[in-house]
Amino acid sequence: MFESIASFIVGVSAIFLAYYLAAVGHGLMEKSGVLNLAIDGVFTLGVAIAFAVSVYTFSVPLATFIAMIVAALFGLMLAFITTKLPISHGAAGLSTMFLGYGLAALVGLPARQLQINGRSLATIQPSLGGTWIWFYVVAFVVAIGIWYLVEKTKIGAAIRAAGENPASAEALGVNVLAVRLFASGVGYALIGIGAAVFELAYTQVWSQGAGMGYGWIAFAISLSAGRHPILILISAMIFAALDKYRFLIAATYNLPPDVGKMLPFVAAIAAMIIFMVTPLKRKLAPPKSLGKIYFREERTV
Amino acid sequence: MVIVRRVKPLPYWIIPIIALLAGIAISVIILYVLMGASPAAVLSAIVYGFTRPGVVAKTFVALTIVGIALLVSFKGSIWNIGGEGQITFGLMAATWVALFTALPYINPGLAQVSMILLAMVAGGIWALLAALPRAYLGLDEVPVTLIMNYIAYYIVDILVRGPWLGKHVYNYIRTDTIPAQVMFPQVPGTTMTWDGLFLLIILFVGVWYLLRNTSIGLRIRILGNNPNLLRSSGISVPLMIIVALTISGFIAGSVGALYLGGDVYRISYPVEAHTANYGYTGILVAWLSMLELIAVPIAAYIVSALYTAGIQYQILVGGHLGQLLTAGSAIVDVFIGSILLMYTILITISEYKIKIIVKR
Repeated sequence: MFESIASFIVGVSAIFLAYYLAAVGHGLMEKSGVLNLAIDGVFTLGVAIAFAVSVYTFSVPLATFIAMIVAALFGLMLAFITTKLPISHGAAGLSTMFLGYGLAALVGLPARQLQINGRSLATIQPSLGGTWIWFYVVAFVVAIGIWYLVEKTKIGAAIRAAGENPASAEALGVNVLAVRLFASGVGYALIGIGAAVFELAYTQVWSQGAGMGYGWIAFAISLSAGRHPILILISAMIFAALDKYRFLIAATYNLPPDVGKMLPFVAAIAAMIIFMVTPLKRKLAPPKSLGKIYFREERTV
Repeated sequence: MVIVRRVKPLPYWIIPIIALLAGIAISVIILYVLMGASPAAVLSAIVYGFTRPGVVAKTFVALTIVGIALLVSFKGSIWNIGGEGQITFGLMAATWVALFTALPYINPGLAQVSMILLAMVAGGIWALLAALPRAYLGLDEVPVTLIMNYIAYYIVDILVRGPWLGKHVYNYIRTDTIPAQVMFPQVPGTTMTWDGLFLLIILFVGVWYLLRNTSIGLRIRILGNNPNLLRSSGISVPLMIIVALTISGFIAGSVGALYLGGDVYRISYPVEAHTANYGYTGILVAWLSMLELIAVPIAAYIVSALYTAGIQYQILVGGHLGQLLTAGSAIVDVFIGSILLMYTILITISEYKIKIIVKR
């Protein structure tokens, strides 16, 4: 019994951290009012970048760092164009998603070619010996850090104000653009790290399309926990366990392995529906101006 | 930077053209930087795409139909990103008719019509499932329709690996090839089929009539501009959301039948690696058309030329990476992404002037 619990905790640690970071980063960005539909594309790109850098340099920290930087740049770009220009957040996000898919394949394939020719991939394995604990430590530190940032600091108040009502926030002296750039930059940096953890600590293989769809699961994890940094720990854990054991679940009930592939996606929709029909929705309502075009035309003229 | 509203908006066709050119330029740069692809080779692949209407025809028909389908829901501000799943469901339904009923041997013509009709029904049902939580719970349709694409893939995967696994497939995991009677006849000199061409014309006229002359069409358009007006005139907004999304899925589903009967003739496992990605590419068509039905075929021709160019580039010049790229999606995705992003940003300048003012 004890052994199986231990192997569970070690087994899900990597995917838990990957999901957690991506979901909490997404939540932070949306708290500032920028609708984030680019998450899946940038997550897929982050996975490919982490893989490629790891193959080229054989360095896990460097791979994680570069995935983080590239993702953060996408976050800054999205926050800038959606705040500075009167354009649809949804359209900007979806186009960035496609760009991310395409770039991911182009970045990953040359490295995959090298790998086929014998180069190896630097990975990090959560083992029973000790490394697994750090996956949880990082998740909890980030959880408390982001929670403190959003709920207890001035910057957090500004982020929430920019998400609820950017025009009033601006009138009260908040620089909405700066706040959104900050939230989206940090948020996407976390998504980038999550993607690197996903690739280097969890799947540890890459082929074209690796990571596609998982960004959407992170989206659902964040939404179903009301974008709350502490509650996301719980929903990320549920999805991590499901992801890790889905093929076992399918095999146990004598179902085809494709049922296992499908489970996280069905659960993602179920989680979002549960969030919408239960009182959770009222208690953890999304920011009022999420995805609304905020544009200071009149003031600049 | 100061942004000022224009007194008179620019003509609507200017933005798609500028966006297209800027997006192609960006794609060429990206392909050069990341793959070392020579710009001349990429551009010549694009020229190839634009100058071979016969080759492009198959993609053109599919993308026009998907563009029309998405237009119906986009007009109502319902962002149906689930075309891919609806097409996959259509593919599944058409395969069932072709392989598991006696219809192809009794009456091939009727079988082909049933393949298309049942594919449409299947696509409509799949869209309806996404429409219900959107209409009654207010759950954003974008993540739901997108996630449902993956579910649709895996449902078909389960069938192909399980009960639908073919008997004459050697060691491949795929269904049997559909009977020759229900392979759609091709229009000579092109890659498109007569079935596809007729379907395209019927759907184009049908949607034109729907949007212009029926109360449903009017209500969908009002849903997009001012749902409160619908509510105050006593028309159920959730019902209109369901109607818009279901019609959209209904039309998109037919592309699944065309893909089966005129292109692949069987489903190969895993279906997500063998899809043509028409559902995603169609989003570009619908947006570039500025939601004008008449502009959909034009946008579809441009996008299908680029689509063909991406695949052509991969076949001819992809070199050592060519064998690793699957389903031609990577380069196409770069094209779609950069053009759409340029379009999204540039749409601003149709109504606003951007002035850069240097502070002294």
